[in-house]
Amino acid sequence: MNFRQSFKIAAKSIAAKKGRSILTMLGIIIGLAAVIALVSFTQGQNKWLNDYYAQMGDNIININATTWDGRDISEQLYTYCQKMDEYMLGVTPNYQCWGELNVRYGTKSLSSYNTDWENQPQVYLGNQQFTLCLNYELEDGRDLAYIDVKNMNHVCILGSRIAKNLFDYAQPVGQRISINGTAYTVIGIYKECDPENVGNGKDNVILLPYTLKKLFGDRVDGGSFVGKAKDAASVPKAIGLLNGYLPGLVGDSGWGNASTPNTWQQSANEQNKMQSLFLGGIAALSLLVSGIGIMNIMLVTVTERTREIGIRKAIGAERKTIITQFLIEACLICGIGGIIGIAVGYLATAILCKLVLSFIVWPSVSVTAGAFIFSVVMGVIFGLYPAVKASGLQPVEALRAE
Amino acid sequence: MLIDVKDLFKIYNEGKENEVRALDGISLQIDRGEFVAIIGASGSGKSTLMNVLGLLDIPTYGEYHLDGTDVTTLTDKQQAHMRNKQIGFIFQGYNLIPDLSAAENVELPLIYQGLKIDQREERVEEAMRKVAMFDRSNHKPAEMSGGQQQRVAIARAIATHPPIIMADEPTGALDSRTGRHVLEILHELHEEGTTVILITHDTSIAATAERIVRISDGKIVMDGTREEAGL
Repeated sequence: MNFRQSFKIAAKSIAAKKGRSILTMLGIIIGLAAVIALVSFTQGQNKWLNDYYAQMGDNIININATTWDGRDISEQLYTYCQKMDEYMLGVTPNYQCWGELNVRYGTKSLSSYNTDWENQPQVYLGNQQFTLCLNYELEDGRDLAYIDVKNMNHVCILGSRIAKNLFDYAQPVGQRISINGTAYTVIGIYKECDPENVGNGKDNVILLPYTLKKLFGDRVDGGSFVGKAKDAASVPKAIGLLNGYLPGLVGDSGWGNASTPNTWQQSANEQNKMQSLFLGGIAALSLLVSGIGIMNIMLVTVTERTREIGIRKAIGAERKTIITQFLIEACLICGIGGIIGIAVGYLATAILCKLVLSFIVWPSVSVTAGAFIFSVVMGVIFGLYPAVKASGLQPVEALRAE
Repeated sequence: MLIDVKDLFKIYNEGKENEVRALDGISLQIDRGEFVAIIGASGSGKSTLMNVLGLLDIPTYGEYHLDGTDVTTLTDKQQAHMRNKQIGFIFQGYNLIPDLSAAENVELPLIYQGLKIDQREERVEEAMRKVAMFDRSNHKPAEMSGGQQQRVAIARAIATHPPIIMADEPTGALDSRTGRHVLEILHELHEEGTTVILITHDTSIAATAERIVRISDGKIVMDGTREEAGL
């Protein structure tokens, strides 16, 4: 008796017992497909929520780090945040200038004292990630570059409302404006982000390299930073890391804290956590149900199979031969069922995601592999069970099984 | 001596209150080429004797030499080989594998013997023709009458050309006409030199054997010709 013959007997047995083979496969197929589709769909839903939150311009982390001895910690903070690239997209100083501001281009001028509140300029000092972190987009020109920050270039980016008020329909990029008497070259214009002008004057922003801070003296609050997390789930993680790091950075002569400005962002994270739990629960439950299904189908046939084993032993099959046959049988049935189950699961995922989410999240390899291995192991254990049990009996005992 | 059994015991629940002695000291010798009928009432221990003789069951005590080999010392694997090569079984309930066709059932012991496919096909055809079932080769057991199933079971038993055929109530589930047919096949096999051991409670069937062994309460109470048995 060699392996090839065992394989032939097993294949013959599967083909002969079509009903049972199909039922077993069906158990595995449905179980696997359900696990894969449910897990992927829930993951897709998660991603959809995350994208939705990200699109809403958030995942912002406010970082307040003040030093009382005048040390500039922004480079260190920036470097640290870059190292957290698993959670963080970027960080920028977000220093606002207080007090009187006079912005001039040619004959036009805007003042923080004499202009209507809705057109008052607001000067912020930031780095090359300011645009990213505060969810601006460029309409024209270029973004602030590292070199501008490093060389303390007198350059600025204008919010859409400021640009419109100063330049009307002229081309602002490349022109020079003056702020409190100092000249700056306009290198870029932001897209309008608050058309109704109901927000906090986001379109009235003038961004300057934060290294020009000294020009504004003590009218700049130097302790404010804004970070941007990768997604909603990363927000609490990044905050945790930052709050661990900040006290060491500011030392005894300073104070540091990171937090998210939005309570709904926090609740979104809670929701994410809940969903992950829910997901795990669904996966575990589906696997359990499919496992029980497989077990049932296998155990229902134990008596029948025990008799069969008795017959096979009576006509001269060795124990090893019988176990090999049953092992091959179980592996074949479960393997084929498993592969079909994965295919059905992927198909169901695609259809479900397409219909509901309008994008497809493919099942992760670990979920697929885990579910496959679980189903096949269940199938093989319970498929092998009658063989191991009955092949050790005297043939007459196995034949007596009723 | 083909079968040589001495002081064979099969005791269930030994030493307990409900002890049963299915075989209670059986000594028996069967020579090559004999046709022996083992008879007795139900519960007399005749089926247990066949199971032990056919290596389907192990005795509690006793010696058993089959074709000179002490089978009580054989491993599970060696016993399997012995059953495969030396003995062909015919059961009252046929014991065919229901999902396999007639030919596949007959082929099974040949596969276990490790024969090549062309040899197997040859042997299957030969055996199926001998029991006049060749034209039903592709039928499943459920598609055949009891007599036809029993003939397939006989074909399976003889496919490996075993020197011994053991039949446990082979006609028990059949009407008398098909029963006679099955018996005829057994006699044909005997004429070709096969040793046949037939277990039955039916004296008219036993009467066709040349040697009768009567069992009662696990003991041999009579061993002789059919004339001596009064059949």
